[in-house]
Amino acid sequence: MHARLIAATLAAMLSAPIAHAADAGDAADAGGSAAGASGTAAIEHGRQLFIANTCYSCHGTAGQGAERTGPRLAPNPFPLVAFVMQLRQPRGVMPRYPKQFLSDADVADIHAYLSSVPASPPAESISLLDNFKPQP
Amino acid sequence: MSDDKSGSGVGRRDFLKGAAVGAASVTALASGAAESVPTAPVPGAETAAGGAKKDKADRTIARPGSDFMVDVIKTLGIDFVAANPGSSFRSLHESLVNYGTNSKPELITCLHEESSVAIAHGYAKAAGKPMAVMVHGTVGLQHASMAIYNAWCDRVPVMIFAGNGVDASTRRPGTEWYHSVQDPAAIVRDFVKWDDQPASLQHFAESAVRAYKIATTTPKEPVLVVAELDLQERAVDPHEKLMIPPLSLSIPSQGDGAALDEAARLLVAAKSPLIIADRAARDQEGVRRLIAFAEALQAPVIDLGARMNFPNTHHLQQNGARSELIREADVVLFLEVADPWGQLNTVTDPFHETRRIGREDVKTISLSFSDVYLKSNYQDFQRFMAVNLAITGDVQASLPDFAERVRRASGAGHKAVMAERAARFRKAHDQALSRVRKAAAVGWDLAPVTTARLSAEVYDVIKAEPWSLVVSDRLSWPRQLWPTTQFHQMLGGSGGQGVGFSLPGAIGAALANKQKGLLSVTFQPDGDALYAPGVLWTAAHHKIPLLMIMHNNRGYYQEVMHLQRMASLHNRPTDRALIGNEIDHPAVDFAKLAQSFGVWAEGPVTDPRALGAALRRALAVVKSGAPALVDVICQAR
Repeated sequence: MHARLIAATLAAMLSAPIAHAADAGDAADAGGSAAGASGTAAIEHGRQLFIANTCYSCHGTAGQGAERTGPRLAPNPFPLVAFVMQLRQPRGVMPRYPKQFLSDADVADIHAYLSSVPASPPAESISLLDNFKPQP
Repeated sequence: MSDDKSGSGVGRRDFLKGAAVGAASVTALASGAAESVPTAPVPGAETAAGGAKKDKADRTIARPGSDFMVDVIKTLGIDFVAANPGSSFRSLHESLVNYGTNSKPELITCLHEESSVAIAHGYAKAAGKPMAVMVHGTVGLQHASMAIYNAWCDRVPVMIFAGNGVDASTRRPGTEWYHSVQDPAAIVRDFVKWDDQPASLQHFAESAVRAYKIATTTPKEPVLVVAELDLQERAVDPHEKLMIPPLSLSIPSQGDGAALDEAARLLVAAKSPLIIADRAARDQEGVRRLIAFAEALQAPVIDLGARMNFPNTHHLQQNGARSELIREADVVLFLEVADPWGQLNTVTDPFHETRRIGREDVKTISLSFSDVYLKSNYQDFQRFMAVNLAITGDVQASLPDFAERVRRASGAGHKAVMAERAARFRKAHDQALSRVRKAAAVGWDLAPVTTARLSAEVYDVIKAEPWSLVVSDRLSWPRQLWPTTQFHQMLGGSGGQGVGFSLPGAIGAALANKQKGLLSVTFQPDGDALYAPGVLWTAAHHKIPLLMIMHNNRGYYQEVMHLQRMASLHNRPTDRALIGNEIDHPAVDFAKLAQSFGVWAEGPVTDPRALGAALRRALAVVKSGAPALVDVICQAR
């Protein structure tokens, strides 16, 4: 049941369309924290935890993912309940983050940070990526 | 005359004493005295035959043995010798630069023996032939050993000449004893293909030619020949008839015909055949042959990247669907794959559980030399996997005949199957590329710079040039995005994953590419650059054009990941994973470092929007014939 819930939410996350570009500097209120300080403070706290716990080393500083290490987490991270489950009982080679090291409030703040990451410009709008279109 | 106060050391009394002695001598000579007159010794004069002292000028050696060694090296067509100077090969060094006129081979001055060998490793992959290295037989070889191991794992030929003085009675006290050994090759014998310690100049000639032949016969590997110090420095005996054997290279052998036939039948009959290539191609002809072979089957190809085996623009290159294809394949053909077991299985980390990726009933065929030649101690041979059909043969040599046998085995009914596969893989190929482009866009404007953005910016600057990514395994984005059709465009990696290869390996490949008019580019990790950064000086000194773009993440992030896993396994927090792994506080200024070695450099670049202009400035320098480095602060991966 646990594994199926994570798999379903991950699948939903990965198949969701990427939102159109927003202002890159806009750190919007995540509005998704279940606990902990609300708003900007929660987002900033979450960002600090994301960096301090070296989550960025596999997932990138903005959760954008990396080819050989960690999948994309942002924008549009999967729901908090599944996020918590993945941290406590991770699938794959990801390290485990038990409550004694990252409280539920901490995890909620990290989730708030990832939720605040704005969408990247779509590939079609980036001229440099036109160099890599399929050749006829 | 007063007593000398000038400090010249000759006082009045001594002067008069000397004058008296001299006068007595003249008197004795004049009177025909039978007794010999003692003469003051002349500094530097030695005793010649008959007892008379001899000047150094009379003891020159017009034709030292090392001159003959240079004659031998020149017959092998070696264009370069990389070396950090050492007294154990001083005569060979001198013969190269004077007698040999420092041309074919030209001496490449290195500041570390690891750099010498890694340069030779990178060079051989780009040039298609080996260059030579000279090292001290002890301390030099110790320094060089990791680089030799990398070349061994990567199946690349390197000619190593190690200086050594085995005759204890002629060694000067002190350092020469520390730098002498009974068996120089012992330290590296586990990862060189052949070595010898010639006892005469004729022996040296035969061994050097044999060594070159062995190094360049598949599986190609490093070899070592000792250049004995006394052989180098003593005069060639004018009565000795020395002969340099002509070099005749081995012709690569192809796989057995009947075995290829059976393999062809298996592949044609397969519902989901799969080709996995690692070190299949040796050059562009190898790439062409693999294309023809894959098209004869319309089978997908996974190119593992140790060499550029198959164009990523071709619809059958299906690296993006690797896991899925391996899971579904009913017949897998391994073409000189170093680790077949690891393609169909894995062992999880950190709990070491074995997991199967491929089908249990998959049929496997291997075409390689892995059963013919390997050594036991170092485990580069990877985990044993029983295959259904193990064919010994050179892949590139075998492919034309193999393709023909596939065509013969394909009946008329197979055409429809192939047409369906071609259409399916064309669609899959385009979809994969589209997914990669979308993924590259994520985090596009981030600082630190994403490696996707870095790769895209660099390609935009070099796309109109005849580019060669001389070390192509550091970032994954170029192999996924950059349209690659030529063997020289992706030259692979270190082989043994010994960190410290990338910088000198890139410089060595660039040395070869310079002669071909290719533009050499490399993504340079910060940790790798710091092992022996003096090789940047070598690039500047020898005017080796190379565009170096730092992937500077200020740490060893593979090891950060390992520390995270261990902390988690030990039920400890992961927030100290940077201790022992970060290269920060202070951050290294790679632009200043490169500039100190005479390399044009800019950076650190932190804003991705500044990349394009910086890269264009660097490219202009490289096109003028010099190396250039741009330091870019990047995401960890």
